[in-house]
Amino acid sequence: ANAGVSAAETLKLAHFVSPAHVVNSAVVYPLKEGVEKQTNGELEIKVYPGGELGSGPTEQYPRVLQGVADIVWGLPGYTSSQFKKSMVVEMPGAIPDDMHGYDMLWNAYEDQLKSEFPGTKPLALWVSEPNIFIMKDEEIRTPEDLEGLKIRVSGEMTAALIDAYGGTPVQMPAGEIYNSLQTGLIDGLVTGASAVNDFKLDEVANVYSVGAPLGHIMFYLAMNQNKYDSLSAEFQQAIDDNSGEKLSRSGEQGWNARANETLKAIREDADNEVIELDPEEIAAFERIADDFREQRLAEKGTNDVLDAMRGE
Amino acid sequence: MSTELVGALGILALLALLVLRIPVAFAIFVVGFGGITVLDSLNSALSLLASETFTIASNAELIVIPLFILMGNIATEAGMSRKLYDAAYALIGSVRGGLASATVVGCAGFAALCGSSVASALTMGRVSLSEMERFNYSAKLSTGSVAAGGTLGILIPPSTGFVIYAILTQQSIGRLFLAGVLPGIMLCLLFVLLIMLLATIKPVLAPSGPKTSWREKQQGLLGAMPILIIILLTIGGIYSGIFSPVEAAAVGAGLTILFGAAMRKLTLASFWRAAQSSITTTATVMLILIAAHMLNPFLALSHIPQALGDFLMALDIGPYGVLLLILACYLVLGCFLEGFAMLVLTMPIFFPVITQLGFDPIWFGVLVVLTLEMGLISPPVGVNVFIVKSVAPNVPLRDIFKGVMPFWLVMIAAIGLLIVFPDIVLFLPDTMMD
Amino acid sequence: MSRFRTRVTRTLDGLVNLSSILGTLALIFAVSVTLIDVTGRLFGAPLPGGQDLSQMTMVIIVFGGMALCDRQGGNIAVDIFEDKFPARMNRWLDMAGWVLGCAIFTAIGYTMLGAAEMSKLLNLSTNIIAIPKAPFQYIVAFFAFLTALSMLARIVSTSLTSSHRHASLQKEEDL
Ligand code: NA
Ligand code: NA
Repeated sequence: ANAGVSAAETLKLAHFVSPAHVVNSAVVYPLKEGVEKQTNGELEIKVYPGGELGSGPTEQYPRVLQGVADIVWGLPGYTSSQFKKSMVVEMPGAIPDDMHGYDMLWNAYEDQLKSEFPGTKPLALWVSEPNIFIMKDEEIRTPEDLEGLKIRVSGEMTAALIDAYGGTPVQMPAGEIYNSLQTGLIDGLVTGASAVNDFKLDEVANVYSVGAPLGHIMFYLAMNQNKYDSLSAEFQQAIDDNSGEKLSRSGEQGWNARANETLKAIREDADNEVIELDPEEIAAFERIADDFREQRLAEKGTNDVLDAMRGE
Repeated sequence: MSTELVGALGILALLALLVLRIPVAFAIFVVGFGGITVLDSLNSALSLLASETFTIASNAELIVIPLFILMGNIATEAGMSRKLYDAAYALIGSVRGGLASATVVGCAGFAALCGSSVASALTMGRVSLSEMERFNYSAKLSTGSVAAGGTLGILIPPSTGFVIYAILTQQSIGRLFLAGVLPGIMLCLLFVLLIMLLATIKPVLAPSGPKTSWREKQQGLLGAMPILIIILLTIGGIYSGIFSPVEAAAVGAGLTILFGAAMRKLTLASFWRAAQSSITTTATVMLILIAAHMLNPFLALSHIPQALGDFLMALDIGPYGVLLLILACYLVLGCFLEGFAMLVLTMPIFFPVITQLGFDPIWFGVLVVLTLEMGLISPPVGVNVFIVKSVAPNVPLRDIFKGVMPFWLVMIAAIGLLIVFPDIVLFLPDTMMD
Repeated sequence: MSRFRTRVTRTLDGLVNLSSILGTLALIFAVSVTLIDVTGRLFGAPLPGGQDLSQMTMVIIVFGGMALCDRQGGNIAVDIFEDKFPARMNRWLDMAGWVLGCAIFTAIGYTMLGAAEMSKLLNLSTNIIAIPKAPFQYIVAFFAFLTALSMLARIVSTSLTSSHRHASLQKEEDL
């Protein structure tokens, strides 16, 4: 990379959700605007939303690795086998009360997680707000309440957790959740409140249980390493200054803020019931979740990953 | 050379290749691949070729295509399609164009259990085309009815088109589904009226059958019972939450196999024949869908949709002028692009324009889905026309396009009606949801 | 030379048949998997990874029939101007279509091999029951190469027959 004057350049940033999704305001635009401002628009970031540069979330990592896009947003949960270590952060009870998900991810990045991001440079790593139960007609207060209920899950870990709680995990494409909740094919699902609007779940769900340990969802924003290396020192600096912990924090706060807004709107609608589990009710879930987590960490040999995340 | 110019040249190249009889899928592949190479790099083009191919070929929702075509093939091998059309002939064969009308109504019914226009046209085409041929209906009328009737799949809920629109524009899926019902029924009725009109002007298109006795009608219905029961079970299963619309395809196929075997109308040999023919049809259809997804990144990189949006915003022709121009854009783009890919590409640009002009987003969604339906039957890349061609290989494509023309005009009229009487769209969502 | 040709043709025919049989079996498997999943769910025990299985099976369904589909002339072309072109030109256009098709399927096969290598590098698999992705990408590559080879064989055999014979063969096909 040459210092001094840099020729104008454009980076392609690709994601697979709509331009109204929270990722835009929380991560994509802070990066784009920060970089463009710092370089006086010489380094431009052009955003391709909604899978314009290739459909679907599962190919996001190959896409950035092969340079179809220079920067991508992705969910490790769509290809969990690649992110076995990183996804430890998604487990129920993994994040202590006094820590943030992004802190944990960056704590463990250099020593533990780096190998899961070959050929790319993560610009942000963060997690969503806590997952909750989003149900139709069914009140969830205790693990026993899940008995015989069909719960849609997106990944293997959540499937195993729901199984441990006594529910029946069901797998289906995201586009089918709405119909399935409406017809009663599923009784509910587990995800973050921020996703309620994305899939219009508020139209068909009416009971929300908040507080049970159901884990979080992890996200990354990653840049092609070769592309980064090819940039001038000035441009690299602009990217560095506007990414990392700072951008990760913005992502996590953005998700949490969206989740709070959504829950507020849900509470204000009289048709909905929002159940805030009390400490005793949460403890009943926690007993199962703690065993579940210990057993899984031991099975997968990922105890040291969690320790590194917690800075222990 | 500007990116937009490359995009425009790409579209011209596509037209030229199609005129030169290069198979549709290959032509789209070549233009998409070449365009990405020019606008980005060969590496990107190769990488996208691999990722789009695998993503579309492993799409959990597209599995309805092989499954429904299997159901149609089995129903035909087991003679159920024949019985169904015998029944339709006994009931309304004496009405002008009765069988074609029955097919369109059948398409509307099928649309209630299937969210995809492609799958609707495939299944209904497999079941109905040879039957209408048996009763001497002209290929133009029968293929036109199926290609057009099949598009009702995305207007009548459940609809993949509305789900994608809702997610892209943050609108209510429930309202959109309700909003599609009356326009869907209206369009179905318009199609029926059109068929009756065509058959009256030109009786040779659809020879009327003799009047039948009450007893003959009863016998016809009795014969069609197995397939009618299968369809009712499948719809019932979806609405009672036993299985999803995607799974319904497998359940429908499974029930058809079961009934066929139980009635001893299906042998192992005919079963295998039906299954094997399903996979070659699937290959034809899926290859076109995969190719269509290569065109999307190319057009995104060409920035043509963005340029169109900027152009529209700068015009001073009043809200309805802009609306009509946007719909015209969809009609033109729909001639080349696969409908859902087109939504993804254009909605971020056109939707803000529409809401700024003060139009109702639900109403606009229905208009857009209706124009997507027209794209499915517009030359040169009319996916539903190719679908019908794949199940009626003996009918020349030009005859199918000719047959579809009157239906296309009716759809233009339907769009006009919805613009003049927006209540047709908004009545149900406004009364049934707060 | 001609014995060699017969052997190549036979091997190719055998492979095309085999791949279509695999595709057909995959379709039957997909129906069964969904039915088991739906029935199981009704009794509170859905098939774990039912969707994973469907997705990977779908890949074999789609590509297993590709070579046979091409042989049966299943790839749709716009025939609006067919009878306006002279027979000789139509012959060349048919050839051009096959050449492009051959190139495209070769490219799909080649790039799919690279994608499979990457899947192994990234350890990619389906999400619930972890079916590895790379083997299915190899299968797609194989089916794609087979389709390309089948087209190549047709290009060779057509260029060896006279245009007159080609026209009459096309007529037969049309009937
Ligand atoms: Na439908
Ligand atoms: Na079209």
